[in-house]
Amino acid sequence: MINGAEAMVECLKAEGINRIFGIPGVAIAPFYEALYHHPEITHVLVRQEQAAGHAASGYARITRKPAVCVTSSGPGATNLITALATAYADSIPLIAITGQVDSQLLGHDVFQEADMRGATESFVKYSYLVRNANDIPRIFREAFHIASTGRTGPVLIDVPCDIQKMELSKAFAYPETVNIRGYKPNIIGNGQQMAKVIAAINRAKKPLICAGGGVILGNGEKLVREFCEKNQIPLVSTMMGIGTVAKAHPLYFGMLGNNGKPYANRAVANADLLMIVGARVADRAVPRPENLEKSLSVIHIDIDSAEIGKMLGPTIPLVGDIRHIFEALLQADIHIDTGKWIEELENFKKTTVDHRVFSDRLVNPMTLVQTLSEKMEDTAIYVADVGQNQLWSADNYVMKDGRFLTTGGMGTMGYSIPAAIGAKMAEPDKQVVAVCGDGAFQMSMFELATIAVNKVPLKILVMRNQYLGLVREHQEKVYQSHYSGVELHAYPHYEDLARAYDMACFHASSNEELDGELDRFLSSKEAAIMVCDIDSANNTK
Amino acid sequence: MKGIFSVLVENRSGVLSQIAGLFARRGYNIDSLAVGETDKHDVSSMTIVSTGDQRTIDQIEKHLNKKLDVIKVRRLDETKSISLEMMLIKVLYNNQNRASLIELCSVMGARIVHVTAKSIVVEIHNTPDVVEEFMGLLRTYGIVEVQRTGTISMSKG
Repeated sequence: MINGAEAMVECLKAEGINRIFGIPGVAIAPFYEALYHHPEITHVLVRQEQAAGHAASGYARITRKPAVCVTSSGPGATNLITALATAYADSIPLIAITGQVDSQLLGHDVFQEADMRGATESFVKYSYLVRNANDIPRIFREAFHIASTGRTGPVLIDVPCDIQKMELSKAFAYPETVNIRGYKPNIIGNGQQMAKVIAAINRAKKPLICAGGGVILGNGEKLVREFCEKNQIPLVSTMMGIGTVAKAHPLYFGMLGNNGKPYANRAVANADLLMIVGARVADRAVPRPENLEKSLSVIHIDIDSAEIGKMLGPTIPLVGDIRHIFEALLQADIHIDTGKWIEELENFKKTTVDHRVFSDRLVNPMTLVQTLSEKMEDTAIYVADVGQNQLWSADNYVMKDGRFLTTGGMGTMGYSIPAAIGAKMAEPDKQVVAVCGDGAFQMSMFELATIAVNKVPLKILVMRNQYLGLVREHQEKVYQSHYSGVELHAYPHYEDLARAYDMACFHASSNEELDGELDRFLSSKEAAIMVCDIDSANNTK
Repeated sequence: MKGIFSVLVENRSGVLSQIAGLFARRGYNIDSLAVGETDKHDVSSMTIVSTGDQRTIDQIEKHLNKKLDVIKVRRLDETKSISLEMMLIKVLYNNQNRASLIELCSVMGARIVHVTAKSIVVEIHNTPDVVEEFMGLLRTYGIVEVQRTGTISMSKG
């Protein structure tokens, strides 16, 4: 009979997992011993556990399947928590396997014991503490099912060391079916609600779709696009919904919210029917939802019924899987004429004046994002970090046929580099560029080792303004420019750092240099860093 | 408004803390909570009473339903359900008020379960309102200690 650790590996194989991200330790050593005998699963050793979670997140978002990260017990496991919280906020399907002290020592505060189920309770969709090795096949089967169905999200499996060593009392068999009586996600939209939705669309003169991250998580981009095109319904997106359609799509009117396009917000304010699809209606996208519900009808479509009615009371709630719902909507009898409405929106777009002024001293960040994303391959993956760089990215990124990855929910700095590693490993043939500020870069720069060792040819673009820019901007506006604890200075010496990891380094400190340096940066075969100096006076608003 | 939830959950370690954590995290009130095993060994039943506006009560129901260890959530209508609570209460007495205390217990259908020279322990089970009223009436005597089970509820039909 095999032991628990070998059973864990068999479960991963049964789920088709061939790559996992992690860092070993004594409490997870039996699992790593089992892994040693199964080279068909590649283990990517990261340099800090949080990066294992973010790399798995990038991997999951590109493969559109749950990805696996592994840590030891205690500090190894607690280091993962921020990544789990990040994945939970963005509904990314992860399986987090953590080692744990021996079962009989649980609760005794022994060396490297941390109550991971308790600590992650509000950051995972579900969690397990394995008490018997015979439960491992069922638990793994359930965990993958839970992570990848309904509203997707991370699931934690905490496995005490003795359970990993314990022999199963029966032959390993991976369950074919799952039966969790408290978990039956509602996939198919309710027929009556569906009829109300169709009737509301037919009544609308100025319908508008707001596409959120759920559209992409639910593999619904193509269907939503087809629906918009078929019925000529315009759309805006949230930050997490960027990528539903190309930026140049004639029906797309930008990202909404307080960091979005003013004409996207005008579109929302002037619509008579807003269809919110797979979006949380969170504060950054819709600062005052109560005003919204007064002035227009709202259809809210989401897989998670708890998201509907959380911020605003929708006129018509519809719970279900986006693909099922939009397949049905594509078949529905909808006849509306939105010609005038689209004209009005185009007029908004033309007449909205962007009052922001960007400094052309050093590199203009708006020009940078536009030029970079235009130069990137059509199917490229752009991973934006958090901070001013993220808002400039979301605002100016020229979406073609690629992906835009960022963390919109938790806003975890340092996400882009490890997530880009995962993304590049998932799609080695696609161009992957991580874009971060110099603050975020330094929160994940230890992962340059993972890039070098595994020869991951991804590109890292650093916007260096020598500040924690978004906080600086906040202090400028709210605290009379009392810059407190935000100055990063010019460190590190990026060229030396790149050399330390056998990476190429490019540098632009003016708009004139930008074009040529970007070309060289993007065409380099190996991993490369490019530093763009940005005037710290540049703000996002 | 008041929300009474009858919740069937998996009888496993950690489930109570998950439910309590949900209320704490999202800032929902728990007015009372009663938990016990049902006729099925692997299923526990909880009665949770909460207060909040309509949206909050709706959200509580949705979030309870979202928990994977929650098997079924039912929202009970006060008029169409039976709610009961039990209370043990220790009250001081003296020779002057002893008779009136015994009379009050009798009128309220409470049972005296223990007597010492200075205090008595009284048991009452009734609707939460009556239990509350009874406790109020006993204040003048001097309450030493109170133990309440929290409300348990069941729909009538």
